[in-house]
Parts: sequence; C-alpha cells; structure tokens
Amino acid sequence: MNDFINTYGFLIISLVLQAILALSMYLPLMAGQLSLATPGFYAIGGYVAAILSVRTFLPASGTTFPEPLQSFVLWLGTVFPATPQGQAFPVSLLLVEMLIAGVLCGLLAIIVGLPALRLRGIYLALATIAFVEIVRVVSLNLPITGGSIGIFGIPQPYPTKFEFAWIAVPFLVIVALFVYRLERVRVGRALVSLREDELAAAAMGINPTYHKVLAFTLGAVIAGACGALSAHFINTWNARQGTFDASILILAYVIIGGSRTWLGPIVGAFLLTALPEVLRGAADVQGIPTFLAQFLKDGRLIIFGLLIAFSTLFFPQGLITPNLFKRRGGSEGER
Amino acid sequence: MLAQQLANGLAIGSVYAIFALGYTLIFSILGIINFAHGAIFTLGAYFTYTLMGLQFGFNGLLAQQKLPFGLPFWVALLVGAVIAGLFGVFLERIIFRPLRARGADPLLTLVASLGLAVAIVNIIQYLVGAETYSYPSGAALPGAPASVNFGTTEAPVIIRTAQLIIIAVAVLILIVLTFFINRTKTGRALRAVSEDATTSSLLGINTNQLIRLTFFLSGFVGGVAGTLVGLNVGITGPYLGISFGLKGLAVIVLGGLGSIPGAVVGGLLIGIVEALVPASLVSYRDALAFAILFIVLLVRPQGLLGRPLIQKV
Repeated sequence: MNDFINTYGFLIISLVLQAILALSMYLPLMAGQLSLATPGFYAIGGYVAAILSVRTFLPASGTTFPEPLQSFVLWLGTVFPATPQGQAFPVSLLLVEMLIAGVLCGLLAIIVGLPALRLRGIYLALATIAFVEIVRVVSLNLPITGGSIGIFGIPQPYPTKFEFAWIAVPFLVIVALFVYRLERVRVGRALVSLREDELAAAAMGINPTYHKVLAFTLGAVIAGACGALSAHFINTWNARQGTFDASILILAYVIIGGSRTWLGPIVGAFLLTALPEVLRGAADVQGIPTFLAQFLKDGRLIIFGLLIAFSTLFFPQGLITPNLFKRRGGSEGER
Repeated sequence: MLAQQLANGLAIGSVYAIFALGYTLIFSILGIINFAHGAIFTLGAYFTYTLMGLQFGFNGLLAQQKLPFGLPFWVALLVGAVIAGLFGVFLERIIFRPLRARGADPLLTLVASLGLAVAIVNIIQYLVGAETYSYPSGAALPGAPASVNFGTTEAPVIIRTAQLIIIAVAVLILIVLTFFINRTKTGRALRAVSEDATTSSLLGINTNQLIRLTFFLSGFVGGVAGTLVGLNVGITGPYLGISFGLKGLAVIVLGGLGSIPGAVVGGLLIGIVEALVPASLVSYRDALAFAILFIVLLVRPQGLLGRPLIQKV
C-alpha cells in the first residue's frame, strides 16, 4: 500500500484537483454558457497563493512603495510570515489563501462576466479564450509573478504529496455536493432552463444575466481556490499553468464525462487524467512488441487526442447521462 | 521607421489573413470553428519540407530520413498544400461528416476538432521530433538578394525577400479565391449552402460535395500559409500552428465570423497593429490581439464586416 501511495500519490491528488476544475467549468455550462475561462482563474488563484506564501509582494530591499501601499504590504508580511527552512507551511494559512483567491477571482469574474455574458455560444467561448491568453501574457511580464520563470519554492504544508488529500478530497466533496444540490433547487433549475431555452426562461421571469453571471462567478471562485491549492501542491507556479491547452483539456473532461449531470465532469476528469499514466503503465507490460511499447510511451498524446475526437462520435452525451440514474434509481422524481 | 513597421506588419498580417481564411470558409458553411486548422497549417509546412527532399533531424521515427527525390520549392509548396487540403477532406470524412449526420451539437464538433488538433500535433512530434527546421536560404527565388531596400539610404525601408513573397502569394490566393467564390457556378453554390444548407440541397445542390470542397480549400490555404511562415521564420516545431491558431481566432472575430473580406481586413489590421507596438512594450504584444478580440466582442460582436447577429425565436 505504501509503495502504491508513493508511486501514485501525486497522480491521485492530481485527479482530485482536475475533477474540481472540471466542475468549475461545468457550472457555467449548466446555464448553457460555454466558458473556457476556468484556467485563467485557476492561474490567478495559483499566483495569489504563490505571491502570498513566497512573499514576492515585498519590495526589493531599499525600495519602498508609495505610502498607503507600503503599510499594506508590510501588514501583509506580518500576516504571511516567512516559513523557516524545514518547517511546514501552516494549513490554516493555506485555507486563508484559498479563500482570498476564491474571493478575488469571484470579484474579477463579476467584472469580466457582466459584459462578456451578453455574448452567446462560440462568441462567449472566444471571449473567454481571450481572457485566458491575456492573463497568461500579463503574468509572463509582471515582476510580482516572477516573469517567465515564475515563482518557485512554494512552501509545503505536508511532507508528502499524498497528504494533500486532507484538503483536496474534502474540497472536491464539498464542491460536488454543492453542484449536486444546486441541480435540485430553484436557482439550479433556473440555470438549466436557461440552457434549454433562454427566451422561454426569460419569459417565465428568470433573469438571464443574473443567473449567467452567478454561474460564471461560482465557477471562477472554485477555480481560483483550486489554483491556490495546486500552487502549493505543484511547488512552482508559472505562466504555463493556465493556458489554452488547459482550457481544452478541462472542456474535454466535461464533454467526455457528460455535461448534463454533476457526476459526468468528475468521471471525465478522473479518466482523462489517469489515461496517460495508464498508457505509460501498459507500455511496461511484459510480452508486448517493442514498437508497440515505444508507441504507448511516446505516442500516448496521439491516442489521447484521437480518443477525445472519436468519443464525441460514440458518446455524444458523454459517458454519464442523467438517464443512467433514472434507470438504476427508478424514482428520481420528475427530473 | 514607420514605413518599415508598416511593411513588417503587412507581411505578417497577410499570413494571418490567409490563415484566417481557412477558419472562415468552414465557419461560413458549417457554423463551427475547426481547431484542427492550426494543425493542418503546421502539416503544410512539414509537407513542403519533406517534398523538397530535405533531411529530418535526430529525433522521432523518421530521424535522418529523406525522400529519394527533391522537388523545387514552388512545386513542393503546391503539392504540399494539395496534400494538406486532402488531409482536411480526410478529417471531414472520418469525424465531421459522421458528427453532422448525427446532428451533433456545435460544441461537440468543437471538442472533436480540438482532439484532432492534439492528435495531429503529437503525430508530427512522434514522426519528426520537436526540432526546428528551415528551408534552405534562397529556396524560393534562387539568386535573389536576401532583402530589398525600398527607401533611401538615409531612411531605409528594408523588406526581406521572404516577406515580399509572402505578400505576393497572399494577394494571389485572395484574388483567385474571391474570383472563385463570386464568379463561378461552384462558388455561387458554396454561398448558397452557407446561406441555408437545407434549402440549397432541396434546390439540387450537392451539399456534401461542397462541404468536402470547403475542407479542401481550407486545408489548401492553411498549408500554403504554413509554408510561408516556415519560409519567413522557420518551422519552429509541431506547435507552430497553435499560436497562429489562437491569433487566427482574433482575426476572424475582428473581421466578422464567416466573412472572407473580413478575414483579410482583420488579418492586416492585427498584423499592422502588432508591428506598431513600441519596443518597450513588445513583450505584451501577444496579448494585444486578444485584447482587441475581447473589446471587439463586447462592442461589436458581429465584427467589422460581419452581418449583425439576429436571434431567431
């Protein structure tokens, strides 16, 4: 068991974190809004945690900021003291960082979302891709985010990676429960009605803008908090963490897992994150021809891409569909 | 100085323009954005390189391999672009047509094209590695000087021959394509399909065949654009098309989704604006296209030359 955890601990926590991100993209999609902004908020959340815990916000020795900012920065320095060598980063501070990251991303999401969510379909997707790219280029250039090198040596709250499960797993459970409940209360049903037919929903007295921005903001809060946790987990944070590639990947989790229920994105994230590792493992199986083993090792992203492309043909609804529950449970109500 | 930057902007802008044409052709017919277009663009550059009989590097399955023959640059460009076009048709056959037959959600088609892009980029990497390749200097016009000075010796406006070729080829493609779409019978049928596919099929237009043609044209111009960029800056690896793919999105939205003149205007505008970024802010240049994209979407979502979006009940 210990061997297993040593080998796959990192992967298991990655699965959980990716599942959280998938749910954060699922939320706007629930309201029919294809938003690819999740990696942007994830990156910002990670930078918040990295900046606060590595204390890159402190001015270089000798320079000072203009006054109100200077006292604020010094105060922030007392709230987030330097972690001495060999000591663990306090978990309470990590939770505070997640909270700050979530709130900041939520506020930013309202600012970005209010104008952007007037757009529909592919236009909204393009606007959110633009948002992700702008965040990436800006973080590549700011001194506080470490430029192209990024921020490294982010202090660790736990001695091993697997122990991040103490935070990541409850976080996923809370988010999943939240989305599960959301699908069954008034606000959630309003979101679904917007997905099915926005005009009809608006005619029934549902405020489209309010609900769309709400879903977008909730997704951003989750992505931001997840980024803050990931920054500690990965140990370094740079502009490669929130890119267009990540947008594609997370969208693939949701679409392949199933974009109609809360379970779909989680299953999709688990499957697709584990897949490259599974293929790598398959290459080590005794007795398969060398060229095949080589292909499984070096060409696993080819298989990955083809799987995404062809699963849209064979599982257009995703792997997990609401009907799955109906058949098994029998009495899900009139969903 | 200004003239120099305008010239640079014009060269890169014309590549953006013909690259974006590939997006726009498919969008105008199918209403989807084909993210595999960036990968086809990359493929085109590699096809030309292969057909010229040049050797691959040390990595990948095809390490140190080369064709037994070598075509001249222009023939290789043309054949490479045709193969890229046929590859586009192949993708249409295996993914996009089945999806269309099932009446799939545009979102699903988008994801499928993203998956294809990931697969193609990694197939390239698997075959020839991630090394940088470049066409031999003077491949396009043997004996021509590397650059031409259009200004005076005091105020030089130096344009590299590669840039001149890019502009010339881009203009040629635009003229031919515009003529084809506006003046020929097939072009008219193409416009009819983009207007309303169902009605035009009722009128006896073979919709499937035209969609195949669109994918061919899109792949063809994508392949040409890839080779031109390879000529200008070299083939910088399998990910060459990804950054262009994203910029291309900004271009087509700025010009108006599905509008061919829009793609041209958008491409030139973004190329020139990027070239005019002052040196001190040059590291922010890549964000500029996306900032423009974001603002255009908010202020004028139909783009500069697109038709206004009408919401049908």
